[in-house]
Amino acid sequence: MSAEGKKPRYMLVWGGLALLTGIEVATAFVVRKALEGFEIGHEQVTMLIILILLGLAVWKALLVALYFMHLKWESKALRWLAVAPLLPATILVVVVLMEYV
Amino acid sequence: MSTHGAEAVQFEQTSFNVYDKKLGMWVFLASEVMFFTGLIGSYIILRWGASESWPAPGEVLNIGVTAGNTFLLICSSVAMVKAFAAIEEGDQKHLKLWLLATIVMGASFVGVQAYEYTHLIHEGFLPSSGLYGSTFYAMTGFHGFHVTMGVLCMIWVLGKAMRGHYTQENHQGVETIGLYWHFVDLVWIILFTIVYLI
Amino acid sequence: MATMTAEPSGIPVREEHHPQPFIRKYIFSTDHKIIGIQFLFTTLFFLMIGGLLAVMLRFQLGFPGEAMPGGSILPETMAPGGIILPEFYISLVTMHGTFMVFFAIMPLLVGVYANYLIPIEIGTHDMAFPRLNMISFWLFLISGLMMLSSFWVVGGASRSGWTQYAPLSANPDASGVFTGQILWCLSIAVFGFSSLLGSINYITTIVNQRAQGMTWFRLPLVIWALFITAILGLLAVPVLTAAVIMLLFDQTIGTTFFLPGGGGQPLLWQHLFWFFGHPEVYILILPAMGFVSEIISNGSRKPIFGYKSMVFAIMAIAFLGFIVWGHHMFQSGMNPRLGMSFMVTTLIIAVPSAIKVFNWMATMWGGAIKFTTPMLFAVGFVMLFTIGGLSGIFMAANPVDIYIHDTYFIVAHIHYVLFGGSLFAIFGAIYFWFPKMFGRMINETAGKIHFALTFILFNLVFFPMHGLGMEGMMRRIYDTSRYTHLSDVQDTNTMISIAAFGLFASGLYFGVLFFWSLFKGKPAPDNPWEANTLEWTLPSPPKHGNWEQLPTVYHGPYEYSHPDMDRDWLLQNERPDIVSPAHEVTIRKGEA
Repeated sequence: MSAEGKKPRYMLVWGGLALLTGIEVATAFVVRKALEGFEIGHEQVTMLIILILLGLAVWKALLVALYFMHLKWESKALRWLAVAPLLPATILVVVVLMEYV
Repeated sequence: MSTHGAEAVQFEQTSFNVYDKKLGMWVFLASEVMFFTGLIGSYIILRWGASESWPAPGEVLNIGVTAGNTFLLICSSVAMVKAFAAIEEGDQKHLKLWLLATIVMGASFVGVQAYEYTHLIHEGFLPSSGLYGSTFYAMTGFHGFHVTMGVLCMIWVLGKAMRGHYTQENHQGVETIGLYWHFVDLVWIILFTIVYLI
Repeated sequence: MATMTAEPSGIPVREEHHPQPFIRKYIFSTDHKIIGIQFLFTTLFFLMIGGLLAVMLRFQLGFPGEAMPGGSILPETMAPGGIILPEFYISLVTMHGTFMVFFAIMPLLVGVYANYLIPIEIGTHDMAFPRLNMISFWLFLISGLMMLSSFWVVGGASRSGWTQYAPLSANPDASGVFTGQILWCLSIAVFGFSSLLGSINYITTIVNQRAQGMTWFRLPLVIWALFITAILGLLAVPVLTAAVIMLLFDQTIGTTFFLPGGGGQPLLWQHLFWFFGHPEVYILILPAMGFVSEIISNGSRKPIFGYKSMVFAIMAIAFLGFIVWGHHMFQSGMNPRLGMSFMVTTLIIAVPSAIKVFNWMATMWGGAIKFTTPMLFAVGFVMLFTIGGLSGIFMAANPVDIYIHDTYFIVAHIHYVLFGGSLFAIFGAIYFWFPKMFGRMINETAGKIHFALTFILFNLVFFPMHGLGMEGMMRRIYDTSRYTHLSDVQDTNTMISIAAFGLFASGLYFGVLFFWSLFKGKPAPDNPWEANTLEWTLPSPPKHGNWEQLPTVYHGPYEYSHPDMDRDWLLQNERPDIVSPAHEVTIRKGEA
């Protein structure tokens, strides 16, 4: 099961991960402070920051899963297996969060 | 007497197209997703539903050190994948070097975490420090436990590599432990964001 | 020649046969058949423990305040003068549930039969990971012994119900149990790990090691059931493990996940527990349904009716099983909108189960039925599981549940599905596969006596509980005479208890029969039931490694009474044109 074209990408992915981490930390502090300067409510700022951070985290996770764990080159069935537990996981968290809605 | 041949089933005939060890590891990782969901999901639920707000990022925890630690773990993942790439080319020397690098970086990650723990405990931040303490120590503690187990398994794999066990044709064990290692990195990517930055 | 360690195809290479020492062959075995049998002996022991605990708690309910015969051997902290204390009673209830669910039923269904049947029914030498398999058994045994040991520690065994609701379970000052509670949590954590290793093995083996020609839709239904069950376990048990660890931390290191005093949420425990707990009950029934499909098809000499719909029903039950857990929490104070959603999904899940019941009935319809002991238990399953399922419909309706929650109506339901359902199917499976496992038959007449005793006594014990529940008798109570609305239930409870003692005795009778048959049973042929699945092509019992040359499969496992055959069964590795060359045959491709 050789990896045509896999090899050159790793360092690029590494760079991407490093960059995204940096952006995350920046967002959490610098951007948060900057946004608070504008006339946006504190809660909206927090929500926006959270969404951005989660998005960045998911992007990083996808990079690791697709490139380092080779999912990009695996069968569809294996990709489904990798993703499948996210469904019950999401159901659990979302449903229980409804207790506080 | 082996039973390879026409009557034995080949994994390439299945829709997964994945050998036993790798399939077994992915199945295991699916269960690990659910385990961490139990812990991380509880954190999300408890925090969302809390009547008082929890400490802001950086108030209790050291973001700078942990961000560096996060980068270290990511580097160890790169080292792991380079070890795999090496043995795919039959490069025994770089397989061992990159495996060693992964072990060193992984062990350092745990070391930094342990240092962070002693610092926090010294400051009076304990598992009994309310829900923030409960969830923080449960999540990061179990992640650290998983990293430690990974390091131990990696040492075992390195031992086998030193004995020339892996070849270009067969290095299933390297790919399999690699998957576990990347998963542990992936979980940390999520944890770092939601525990330290949000 | 030494075997290679590198196997690119992943097929386990059979080791060279040098004589193995006894310990390696029977104690620390990696042979899936030995491991399955190890599970069998261990779980029958735990089943007996669970039954003994039930006998004791039934004594208190049937003869409240009286000294239990033999009770004087118990310490003063449990039963002074042989009279069961309320604290001991509630730990009996807790541990009865715990042992039966985790250490008897679940491992009897999965630990025994997934291990024993999967390789020999899909046509391979052993599991994908034989050493992990061995570790799985030993972890299971350790976890069971840990749980058992909790009776002997200071404070005794856990008292918080098998469902361990917080904050009682998290607070030793409230429950009075400290070490025993820690042991409960640790035991379940170890058990979870054992279960996980099992699931990994079953899933990988079924995906990767099927014989040539064994396509997905030619798999026996018991394998489908075990496969889906393994997936359920894979995804649900880790959540319990996480929850149990949090519970353990609450008791020991001062966390407050579930303790309101520290801002924790008791309802979080319930959600986490039942998110596991509901798929768990489908883990407890799906393999049983698999056994029943095999036995009923075989006993009716007909193909299973609606094979594909059976498969899809198993998948539907498993999938829906993840979104119904709130029906255990209707009265907990959770968000009422959740109550409504869970009621709808719970009512829906009755449909695939009903499909299966109708298919079993249609399988039997017009069949040349042979009422062997396994067939009796399988048909008994269909009857009793249906009753249990019907009572479930009542409970699924949130408004009805307001009245019957936490009453004996629920206890009746549980036992109709778990005993009348799962355990009956397990008995059927034990009788059915005994010849293959041990090379001996269990005497038919003796087995039928076991069935008759069990069936009659079971209904005497559990049917009246529907009525008790409707009258308002609550679960887990120590003494009904303390409640004015229960002033006239004592006679019923006493009758139930006496029947329960009889039921336990019939279980002991089965134990004696089982062990007697191991040594004195009539020697069994390869295929005593004239069945179709691959294990019946092997000697009874099969050798280590099962096959020298792996079989090739030509059709599904339900080709009973095939029109082109003289005899009414057709093994999966047989082709009709080769077996009965006189007849003209078309082999329909990929057919179940």
